[in-house]
Amino acid sequence: MKIGIIGTGFMGSTHAAAWKKTGTKIAGFLADPPSEAEQIAREYGAHVFSSLEELIESVDVVDICSPTHLHSDMAIAAARAGRHIVCEKPLARTVEQGEAMLDACRIAGVRLFVAHVVRYFPEYALAAARVHAGDIGKVGTAQYRRLSYRPKKPVGNWFLDEEKSGGILLDLMIHDFDIARWIAGDVVSVYAKKVSSFRKESPADYGMVILTHASGALSHVAGAWAYPPPVFKTGFEVCGDAGVIQHDSDSESPIEALLKQEKSEAPDVGLPASPLAESPYDLEIADFYRCLIEGGEPRVSAADGLAALKIACAAIESAKTGQVIALDSRREEARQAELELTGEPATSKGGQR
Amino acid sequence: MKIGIMSAAHVHADAYIGCLRSIPEVDIVGIADHDNERGALFAQQYGLHYFASYEALLGQKLDGVIITSENAFHIELAKKAAQTGVHILCEKPLATNVRDAKEIVDAAKKAGVILMTAFPMRFSVPVRTVKEELVSGKLGALLCFNASNQGQLPPRDRAWFTDPVLAGGGAIADHVVHLADIMRWYVGTEVVEVYAAANRIFHADEVQVETGGMVSMQFENGIFATIDCSWSRPDSWPSWGGLSFDLITDKGAVRVDAFRQNLTIYPAPKASASSANAKTAPADTTGVASGAGADHDWTTAHSHGDRGFGPRWLYWGSDANQAMIEEFISAIQEGRQPAVTGEDGLAAVRIIEAAYKSIQEGKAIMV
Repeated sequence: MKIGIIGTGFMGSTHAAAWKKTGTKIAGFLADPPSEAEQIAREYGAHVFSSLEELIESVDVVDICSPTHLHSDMAIAAARAGRHIVCEKPLARTVEQGEAMLDACRIAGVRLFVAHVVRYFPEYALAAARVHAGDIGKVGTAQYRRLSYRPKKPVGNWFLDEEKSGGILLDLMIHDFDIARWIAGDVVSVYAKKVSSFRKESPADYGMVILTHASGALSHVAGAWAYPPPVFKTGFEVCGDAGVIQHDSDSESPIEALLKQEKSEAPDVGLPASPLAESPYDLEIADFYRCLIEGGEPRVSAADGLAALKIACAAIESAKTGQVIALDSRREEARQAELELTGEPATSKGGQR
Repeated sequence: MKIGIMSAAHVHADAYIGCLRSIPEVDIVGIADHDNERGALFAQQYGLHYFASYEALLGQKLDGVIITSENAFHIELAKKAAQTGVHILCEKPLATNVRDAKEIVDAAKKAGVILMTAFPMRFSVPVRTVKEELVSGKLGALLCFNASNQGQLPPRDRAWFTDPVLAGGGAIADHVVHLADIMRWYVGTEVVEVYAAANRIFHADEVQVETGGMVSMQFENGIFATIDCSWSRPDSWPSWGGLSFDLITDKGAVRVDAFRQNLTIYPAPKASASSANAKTAPADTTGVASGAGADHDWTTAHSHGDRGFGPRWLYWGSDANQAMIEEFISAIQEGRQPAVTGEDGLAAVRIIEAAYKSIQEGKAIMV
């Protein structure tokens, strides 16, 4: 099985390392411009592709680690060529794009995996397992936080271009939207506030979102690009009618090094890091690889990725309009049923390429 | 300085007695309660004189009263006190609706008496320190707050806390006001918009009011905040709960955990049996160990729930209740407005009322 990786930033290189551990062959990389991929291609003894078409032609699996707004066109092209797809989160920039991706994959009969890596972080997986096992009873409220600094990529910082990345509500907070939904089930309404909605010139992003789940549970999700580098804190608290589960990355960190430094160097993008024998990124890619080889379902499905995208897009709309945004999961069911019947997506806009 | 206590309904009455007693010039004249049995028992427990009616208490030429009745009765008691020309410290929330809260404020104004709302967190040293640092500019310009005031279910022996009429609601009425008041104080403008969502999943079989709640509010100047006000702390929690917030500014963020100054004690099962007994002993009257004065500061006196053993937090920070009571006494002595007024209490009630309206209508409400 040959893998082609699009994007050679942090995620592209992380996926490459994880694919290598599965023992599968990385055929090559595509970057923009293609020369950007030369170094990593050398490292893996892989090819530098010059175009998306060339990459799709040459591989079995297309692993998309490009900026968010490019995901859907790339995925749909790959699906139409019969290639399986791994796509970095968020699934897409808009719900329509995400739906078109799922539809294209279904029609083409190819697998689509969305890299919601937080599901493979052991602290989140353990909490979800204990909640699902009933350890804390019925979930009443939950809080999630993911606090870091603004991504500071030197060139073409697409993270900060909300048209491309969706901003903090989509790019960062979708992690916890997915986890909140994993833990407390489908979300029926979304209310969001975001600093940069109020102050365009704001030197920081901070979003707070209140989710109401179909079960009645309430989740509060906070995401920050407002902290000084190199802060990356994550945490959550799930409160049930029979107990509480808490996580705090700071207080659960096994190593605290406070060293004198000439100057502190923070990575371009803040990342969570707790020392583990197996990296969550490796577990994630290994899970997708297992599904590709043996069949079966991954820990996080494409439908989960789409559901998280819908929550994030509703949050963007809520922050913009001040309205409470209702989500109807039945709409997706109806759409899928229509697709089953006709082989045509009911809401396909066509021309997604 | 002659001070009377109007009603023993609220758990804070216990703590306030201790606070008053540590101020040398204060003479606690006594207590009255519309529930004679409760009032007499409380009087006996604390060695206070019991008055059979509020009129009898107010007939003692008091300087001030502390109203610690059920929330819905604040209006009646505050009006009685105001009409007698007695200064008032009223427990929060000031009233169960905006109309009553306004009437209380107006009655005090008309009578020319001091009306202070019991927002002890204004006197919390960590909270005050951050206010000073904000004012100095050290922390940068405020952008938003992410706040929580979560607690255990109010003590089951004070059932009115979960009575929608007597309390004015559940977790939202109980736990939004402290943070809303701190934020108004920090921001310096009023809340213009409120969104709230609530549920009744914690203790669903025990109470009829909401036990889970999340509130989002926006101030005039665009600063916004959310508050998790849930009674989400199980009986096994190491304390009554807590109050904390992240304050986001253009310079970064500040985390304030007002009740972080705790020892953690891990009693062995055997030892816990005797400490469990100790919890039912008469309340601590020194005011030292009774907590820092947020809502359910019955940490030692009124620990509830069936805790056999497990870790407990022993608060060692400064007592905010004490500082609040001292401010009330000083304001009376100096004939000035207290640091926290009836208007502050009214503003907080406006936010609660908007929160309930938002829950009902499923949208954000302009205040």
